[in-house]
Amino acid sequence: MNPFEFAFMQKAFIACTLTAAVAPLVGSFIVQRGQSLVGDGMGHVAFAGVGLAFLVGAEPLVGALACSVLAGLLLVRMSRAGLAGDLAIALIFYGGIAFGYLLASRAGAGQTRLVGVLFGSPLNLSWGRVWVIAALAAAVVALTAALYPRLVALAFNEEAARVSGVATDRIVLALTLMVALVVVGGMSSIGLLLIAAMMVVPVAAAAQLASSYRGTLFTASAVGSFSAVTGLLVAHYLDYSPGSAIVLTAIAAYLVASGVGVSWRRVRVRDLAAPAPNG
Amino acid sequence: MSPPTAGPAPPPVLELDGVTFGYSDATVLRAVSLSVREGEFVAVVGPNGSGKTTLLRLSLGLLQPHRGKVRLFGIDAASFREWWRLGYVPQRAVASSPLPLSVEEVVRTGLAGRERSARRGKATSERLEHVIDLMGLSAVRRRRVSEVSGGQQQRALIARALVTAPRLLVLDEPTTGVDAAARAVLRESLEHLVGVEGMGVVYVSHDPGAFAGLADRVLEVEDGGLVDLAGSILPSVTRQTASAT
Repeated sequence: MNPFEFAFMQKAFIACTLTAAVAPLVGSFIVQRGQSLVGDGMGHVAFAGVGLAFLVGAEPLVGALACSVLAGLLLVRMSRAGLAGDLAIALIFYGGIAFGYLLASRAGAGQTRLVGVLFGSPLNLSWGRVWVIAALAAAVVALTAALYPRLVALAFNEEAARVSGVATDRIVLALTLMVALVVVGGMSSIGLLLIAAMMVVPVAAAAQLASSYRGTLFTASAVGSFSAVTGLLVAHYLDYSPGSAIVLTAIAAYLVASGVGVSWRRVRVRDLAAPAPNG
Repeated sequence: MSPPTAGPAPPPVLELDGVTFGYSDATVLRAVSLSVREGEFVAVVGPNGSGKTTLLRLSLGLLQPHRGKVRLFGIDAASFREWWRLGYVPQRAVASSPLPLSVEEVVRTGLAGRERSARRGKATSERLEHVIDLMGLSAVRRRRVSEVSGGQQQRALIARALVTAPRLLVLDEPTTGVDAAARAVLRESLEHLVGVEGMGVVYVSHDPGAFAGLADRVLEVEDGGLVDLAGSILPSVTRQTASAT
């Protein structure tokens, strides 16, 4: 049975592939800045927005976006004021998920609905939601393309970027907004708790294979897309949870890439160490 | 390093005037004054924790002094925007990169603050090619920067700083983790930049041997002030003597 014949699978493939393709674009910059867990934390905070939206009867996606953007702004301001230590960040992130569950419980949101938000429910998407996900993905791609040189400079060395004339405060804000867009875009398809993995794992896999930053971005995006398609097919045929299958596929891709990367580097080191043919 | 000239002294590219700065628990620099001109090589030494990096960060406008003024090319550092005139070589920024960057990509990050049109202009491309060639990086430009030698990594950082054709180059411990051969190449490059291109250089290091024979002035950060070492503790490392202002 061809899974692409079903409309619900078509929507799932489009939403998951778009999300998993753009998440590593943003992830590459947060990994390079040593902030791999920011996406995870942002997902926790977005859940507070979902809970609030359940309580007031608003669209959960709007609540998640508002909350994660506000939390992002707060974190940037705290960081600039030297207040964003590990503990402060943990308080905000864990407070977010606890508050979100409290609000959602008060709103009487069912466990199935909450599990869908946290771990994704791509088989239940409407075409309208797919279009929103596509728009968010397009916004992330456009921001990445427009800010690419400045994002790379920032990720490479923030002080050096500032001395080069990059308005680093604004670029950090833009990057935080991009993380929020990915988290919210991935909420319905891969889930608030799993989307962060798609920002980091494909990047880690690509870093084993690529020899440039640009190459890492393209490779990571391809690994993300491959993981989404493969994960959905595995989930369809073996009746697994789609979000989990996608993330586990990405982790498998990372393990394979690590093996290939190690062998590749050994060959390159051996070639470089070998004497030239004519002495 | 400064070539002898009969005309008026070139304008200062960096001025610190009575600068005082400290962190919450201690004052690090007290009423420090310094002037660096085009074509002048000024070395700043001192042990770890003496305030060298603080002095450097104040000079680059990354920190605001509590008292006093910092001027870059005659402009208050707080309102300075002509960043292309300033090149900065950060300390060992390459080795810790978790993702692969090619040597060329590292050099290109130096252009990130320029306008889009300037980044893509022909003159900019030519400048990029020029600095890659000048630093002897053409053969390794597509290689991962983490996989080239320590000396090539350092030259990539210097090329990055030079890609906007700055008039002041500030280097933070550029020989840390670099072997003797790479140090020699670095010295040659700096000699060319100061002697031929007339660039002002501020070189921060804990190792006086790194700039021996290059520096016009050697200043030590000591007890929150700047002490001119010319002709006293390190007579062999300076070619000319000049007093710290």
